[in-house]
Amino acid sequence: MKPAPFDYHAPATLDEAVALLTRLEDEGCDMKIIAGGQSLMPMLALRVARPEALVDLRRLDTLNYIRDDAGTLAIGAMTSKQAAADSALVKRAQPLFHAATELVGHRQIRNRGSVGGSFAHADPASEYPAVALVLDTEFEAVGPDGARTIPADEFFVTYMTTSLETTEVLTAVRFAPFAPQRRWAIQEFARRNGDLALAGVALTLNVDGGLCRDVRIAAFGVEATAVRLTAAEQLLEGQPAQAAQFEQAGKAGAAQLDDPMSCIHASSAYRRHLIGVLTTRALGEAAARTH
Amino acid sequence: MAIEIHTLPEHMPNDALRYVGKPVNRVEDPALVSGTVQFIDNLSLPGMLHCAILRSPHPHARIVSVDVSAALAAEGVVAVISGEDVKRWCVPGFTAPEGWGNYCMAVDKVRFVGEPVAAVAATSRYLAEDALELLHIEYETLTPVCNPEQAMAPDAPVVFEERGTNVMLHRDYTWGEVDRVFAEADHIISRRFRWNRVGANPTETFGCICQWDLADNSLTCHGAYQTPRFMAIGRAASLQLPANRVRIVTHPQGGGFGGKGGPRGTDIAALLSRKSNGRPVKYIEDRMEYLLAGGGQSWDRYYDAALAVKADGTVTGFRVHLVDDQGAGAEGYGTISAAKPLAAFTGNYRIEAASYDLTLVATNRAPTYPYRGYGPPPHNLVLESLMDCTARELGMDPAELRRQNFIRPEQFPYTVPSGNEYDSGNYEAVLDRVLEIADYPALRARQAAARAEGRLVGIGVVGTVEPGVFDWNAYATVGVPGVGVPEGVKVGLDVFGNVSVAVGFSLQGQGQFTVAAQVVADYLGVDMAQVKISTASSDVALPHFGQGGSRLGVAVTGAILGACEKLNAMFCKVVAHVMQAPEESIVLRNGRLYRVDAPEHGMSLAEIAGLMLSRSDLLPPGVEPCPEATYVWTSPNRNAPDDQGRCRSYLTAANATHVALVEIDRDTGRTHILDYCIVDDCGTRLNPANVEGQLQGGVAQGVGAALYEEYVYNDECQPLVSTFVDYLMPTIHEVPMTRKDHIVTPSPVSPLGAKGCGEGAMHTTPATILCAINDALAPLGKEMLETPASPHRLWKLLHEDQATSA
Repeated sequence: MKPAPFDYHAPATLDEAVALLTRLEDEGCDMKIIAGGQSLMPMLALRVARPEALVDLRRLDTLNYIRDDAGTLAIGAMTSKQAAADSALVKRAQPLFHAATELVGHRQIRNRGSVGGSFAHADPASEYPAVALVLDTEFEAVGPDGARTIPADEFFVTYMTTSLETTEVLTAVRFAPFAPQRRWAIQEFARRNGDLALAGVALTLNVDGGLCRDVRIAAFGVEATAVRLTAAEQLLEGQPAQAAQFEQAGKAGAAQLDDPMSCIHASSAYRRHLIGVLTTRALGEAAARTH
Repeated sequence: MAIEIHTLPEHMPNDALRYVGKPVNRVEDPALVSGTVQFIDNLSLPGMLHCAILRSPHPHARIVSVDVSAALAAEGVVAVISGEDVKRWCVPGFTAPEGWGNYCMAVDKVRFVGEPVAAVAATSRYLAEDALELLHIEYETLTPVCNPEQAMAPDAPVVFEERGTNVMLHRDYTWGEVDRVFAEADHIISRRFRWNRVGANPTETFGCICQWDLADNSLTCHGAYQTPRFMAIGRAASLQLPANRVRIVTHPQGGGFGGKGGPRGTDIAALLSRKSNGRPVKYIEDRMEYLLAGGGQSWDRYYDAALAVKADGTVTGFRVHLVDDQGAGAEGYGTISAAKPLAAFTGNYRIEAASYDLTLVATNRAPTYPYRGYGPPPHNLVLESLMDCTARELGMDPAELRRQNFIRPEQFPYTVPSGNEYDSGNYEAVLDRVLEIADYPALRARQAAARAEGRLVGIGVVGTVEPGVFDWNAYATVGVPGVGVPEGVKVGLDVFGNVSVAVGFSLQGQGQFTVAAQVVADYLGVDMAQVKISTASSDVALPHFGQGGSRLGVAVTGAILGACEKLNAMFCKVVAHVMQAPEESIVLRNGRLYRVDAPEHGMSLAEIAGLMLSRSDLLPPGVEPCPEATYVWTSPNRNAPDDQGRCRSYLTAANATHVALVEIDRDTGRTHILDYCIVDDCGTRLNPANVEGQLQGGVAQGVGAALYEEYVYNDECQPLVSTFVDYLMPTIHEVPMTRKDHIVTPSPVSPLGAKGCGEGAMHTTPATILCAINDALAPLGKEMLETPASPHRLWKLLHEDQATSA
């Protein structure tokens, strides 16, 4: 269980990193960016991933920050997940993202694993892409042509694939202000504490005069990438925030799924069922949340 | 001179025991917590090479050709071996039953995914693994045999062609008038059970460094070896060396649990050393290798079993039909695992007759290996689940049904139908106490309230007997040749009165060094800090077995006591001679030898040891200048099995009852353990903290087997589990912190009255959790009869009536 040979680079600056990626790309090199390595290292050790070169971002201290940017929460891509979990600012400004972070792996994994790495890795069982879809999230990337901003709904393409170019470095994730009255919940089903979710749901909504408004629900762990449960969202819009409606929304969300994944721990049918259960429960949790 | 081994702590020559029976800190722990223990992977030898093994991707295939030339030419590669080398230099390893073995590496054909096909020794593990990709193996795939049903089909492919069948062993034991009790029964409660493959997963996988001395034609193996003496004998046999030319140096181990399959890795590293002109070769099994085929897979079982029950709830008969999927060979001594239940076949109960129809089958799954408990965990799950089914059918409380059928305290020693003798016990006292600490009536009330709300809450009350301290005859019943099970130690003193103890085993986690230090310190009346325990290598160690069969704490205690008795007698002789007093007038007590009639005249241990070592002129005739004694302990009063396998096999019979409260989430199928209580009786608790550790650890593994762990194979016999993403060991979050108490019924026959206690919690926990799950399901009229009771399985069971495809 040792990686196949690869060249290792650890550029000192973002400019160096982009220049290096551009050069390697021009040379036809199959390269991979490594951040915390919590997903990539096992894939290397199992020789499932065998890039010719690794570009390590560990020296890019400028990508390690959490800050309030005029109400928008900006988190540098190389910030560790545990730093985000420990941040009072993150907890106050983005409670859903904060709760999702605490569901990622175990503390040891969060100490090493970066916030940007999880988004860029885009594992279908990851909490982060689903959270990005229900919040107003933007990704900042820098490439040979300079910086650009990518909204969440254009960022996640499919299984472990984002719209980042191979020569681009994800530099930050930005969350628009989370309205104080907005409700949220995240629930997932994993075999053990800290395991990848077999199914999960992240959602946000307003409850206005007892009625659901602007409901956003995303499921993870079931399809190639996180998916908005639009059928459930539409069903709830303007409806009473009550158990019967949540039950129906769960069923609608489950029914909407195309073809959930299957593995030794959970069949496709079971995953679909779990999404329904988790949607209903998460809606109940969110509706009951007092600020 | 017959040596008497004390069966009670108070018989030791010490007025105030300081250590035995107390939760003293473990002598093993300072090194463990400070990181100075030399585990095998911490050791490097000069010139050492690293081994990587190419493993079969096919469950069943003929090897057409092997081309190693490109790998041999690769950077850093020193040697490559394949089946051809193995065929020339080796014989297949020892198996039980005999003759169902593989070589350490596939010869001519592969029989399971993960079977070694070739191996490389290179200057680093990285380079060795790179070279594996340059090996070219051509296979001709064969139809795999995926399960016993396929294996026993008329035209099934044959895994071991020379055997002509896939049935390794079939035996039908009958104990008592089984047909009669079933004919006379008012109820026959029968079920089929499926126990899926689980197994040991120590923190440290197997590892070794082997060095073949080409001049001496001898082999030295450093490694994480659980039973070093057997390893030495086994390697001598498989590598065709004289046994006195194989030296095993066992290192501290990061856990064992029976599953560390060392033979293959050792033989492969040894052959690579031989082919590298004697350079040391390190092999560290990685987790993927371990999970695929490393000796961590056990108990792949299909049961069909029944109880014969009278109208009043008296259980009179127990029939078990077991088909056991051994995988591709019997290198893990699977016969023994299937036979161990004979030691406590009928559990805690006065069941008068029983039968055991046992079929061991070869398939193309990985060979199975020992795992903590060694057979009783699935067997007890079957027996105890049937007891619960009986209680439901008769409308009785499951705890009371058990109480009614318990062996009574006055019936000990009690011989069970399958032949073993239980030394002592008080099962009702254990049950009463656990129901008390669990507040059983309150649990039932809680359950009733939950059921009224439609929730699925269940209670399991399960008691088992833990056969402890196995001996040779336990396995002779199934044709395993005589393997002695002794435990030998050497106890010696230096001129300062320090005590050195040499044992044959090494650290594995259970704390037997501490037990040895406690016993020797209390016997000789010295401070534990004056005692040093060390491991002798296999070439100089006394006959020993080491960890296994819930025996070592008891066995090493017996060995220490025996050696101390011999020291005591020798010291009395020396002191009597020096004092010119009659030998019988000298006694050892509280760390000093003195005249009974004039206690002020005496000598300290240091004075005696110093005199013996330095003043040979003062020694009595026949006494050597050596204040040391050896003793090899083995269980007393063992006998040979009869034609139905009956014998006094295990010396002690510990007992425990567990109570679990669980709730099944109807919507997700997940089982939550809400409460867990244990009361056990393992006789004298030599170190109560060690016992508690054994209990809690056994519960963890039991939770894993009941709810989480499973080696899954697909329909083509491909293993689907190769990392911990898929093989789900429970973590601290999933294992309940148990509430515990104990009863003490000292064994009348064992050293200091202690009973084997290393496996009992693993014997009991899976059954307790499954019984609780089935109690929760009872209002629905459903039963879960398969382990692990995963959320997906339970969900399917709960929703099978709906038109849900799963």
